[in-house]
Amino acid sequence: MPSSSGRTSKRFMPFQIDGTVVQNRQIKSVYFILGIHCPPIANLIQPGQFIMLKISEDHSPLLRRPFSVYKTYPENHPAKEKRGCLFICYKEVGKGTHKMTTLQKGKILNLIGPLGNGFTPPPLPSSANIILIGGGVGIVSVYPFAEAFNHLKLFVFIGGKTKKDILCVEDFKKLNSKIFVSTENGSLGFRGTVVDLFLSQRKIFTEDKKYYLYACGPMPMLKALAGKIKSRNFIAQASLEARMGCGFGACWGCVIKTNHSQTPYQRVCKEGPVFSFKDICWD
Amino acid sequence: MRNNNLRIKIGKMVLKNPVIVSSGTFGFGEEFEDFFDLNQLGAVVSKGISLKPMVGNPPPRIFETEGGLINSIGLQNPGLQEFIRNKLPYYRRLKTHLIVNIFGNTQTEYIELAKRLEGVRGISGLEMNISCPNIKKGGIVFGSDPRMAFHLIRKVRKATTSTLIVKLSPNVTDIASIAKSVEEGGADAVSLVNTFKAMAINIHSKKPEVGNIIGGLSGPAIKPIALRMVWEAHQAIKIPIIGMGGIMKAEDAIEFILAGASAIQMGTANLINPRAAIETIQGIKKYLVQNKIDRIQTLIGAFG
Repeated sequence: MPSSSGRTSKRFMPFQIDGTVVQNRQIKSVYFILGIHCPPIANLIQPGQFIMLKISEDHSPLLRRPFSVYKTYPENHPAKEKRGCLFICYKEVGKGTHKMTTLQKGKILNLIGPLGNGFTPPPLPSSANIILIGGGVGIVSVYPFAEAFNHLKLFVFIGGKTKKDILCVEDFKKLNSKIFVSTENGSLGFRGTVVDLFLSQRKIFTEDKKYYLYACGPMPMLKALAGKIKSRNFIAQASLEARMGCGFGACWGCVIKTNHSQTPYQRVCKEGPVFSFKDICWD
Repeated sequence: MRNNNLRIKIGKMVLKNPVIVSSGTFGFGEEFEDFFDLNQLGAVVSKGISLKPMVGNPPPRIFETEGGLINSIGLQNPGLQEFIRNKLPYYRRLKTHLIVNIFGNTQTEYIELAKRLEGVRGISGLEMNISCPNIKKGGIVFGSDPRMAFHLIRKVRKATTSTLIVKLSPNVTDIASIAKSVEEGGADAVSLVNTFKAMAINIHSKKPEVGNIIGGLSGPAIKPIALRMVWEAHQAIKIPIIGMGGIMKAEDAIEFILAGASAIQMGTANLINPRAAIETIQGIKKYLVQNKIDRIQTLIGAFG
């Protein structure tokens, strides 16, 4: 079935393969970074794509968990110690992610990836303005895209409940980006949601220019954002989060309602996880 | 080891081994081709097909419980015509049997599905899902009433010469009596069990965890109950049983065969380990060698 947005992105065959834990460290409060040495996936995975990770060998948790990739280092990367590694950033929220925090260096994990359709870059050659919006751990999904398009002007909006939920600021500081931060309790930056923050800066984005907007975060955030970027000069994509059964299109458990006439429920894992804002049914 | 010692006959189908992948957990086959050679499977069952396309249930559609998975996909499928036109050609290229899973809301729909699939190249068998509510009979599930099941199967039997498998729901008081009436109706085999009706509630939002409130539970959590039902059916009927319910590995598959299953299906396991079925085939082979068992048939119901 074609993607609802009609995109044709280069398709890499997913691998089911073992990887070795090279790092598992807490970065702040409930957020951790897990590094896995897995060259076949690290070589191929594109910004916005994801992996399915089997956290334990027993049935607890039973299903794999999806993670978008935060940083990847292909085998030809100059930093020798990171070659062939991929890093995910995860939030300890339940039993599964709690178990993840106990994974030790050297542990073998089974991965499936690269999966899904990643972000579609602006057409080339481009001097496009790029807006990245991330809510909570969602900012991690858009970060690799920023790294890949560092030569363009980036406006980055990072939001979280408190300052403990603000991630990747140091990473973005190293890129050619203008960073805006918001927290719902006002403990850091603008007080309010990341969508409120974006609206407060709306005057920067003039109607005579085109903006390529990439967002990731919880559904209520994306829905609120959808209502504010309807004007034609925003070309907007969202990376969606969903409960997934398999991650590779077999079970139809992770669907989202789209404006597709024949098949309104499309798979986040296969047709997504990145969708065009205009293709999603936000009602 | 001889090549044919895993061979099993179900109706008119001779399977090269007893491992089948079950409906709804194996997409339309092609989703798995990156992970292993599908030709090694005993058979594949398609996603459930209805006469008309179905959009399925609103999300969330799945929820993980202890050792289990609740799903309420809502039988989303492209409908019979689209299935024949765009999904069947892929299956035809495979060197394994295709069993098409069908379901309807009325007797007429089941009969029409069977008729329209009759003689279509590339289809070895039909698996009837009789866990759907009969709208005309006030929503009673076909598969929970032995008499209704008997009459339905008898009519579908007349409409098809393919191997006819009837998939039984475990949500019944007496699985043996349903199995018996399905056998009397003319089915070539039964497959059991489908998922157990189940639900989960989020205590923080006070909302159901799946959009449809009620879903079907699968996975290792249901295995002991499914195994018991296979054994009960085995004592009641003579036609072959395809056993399923939480089979994750070869050891589970062998347990079902010992309980009376001639073949087995794997479902939820495919989602977690796409190579689960192929690893199970290898595991069964190894078990036969280690235990000096010549033919798998000798294991069927051979416990106690």
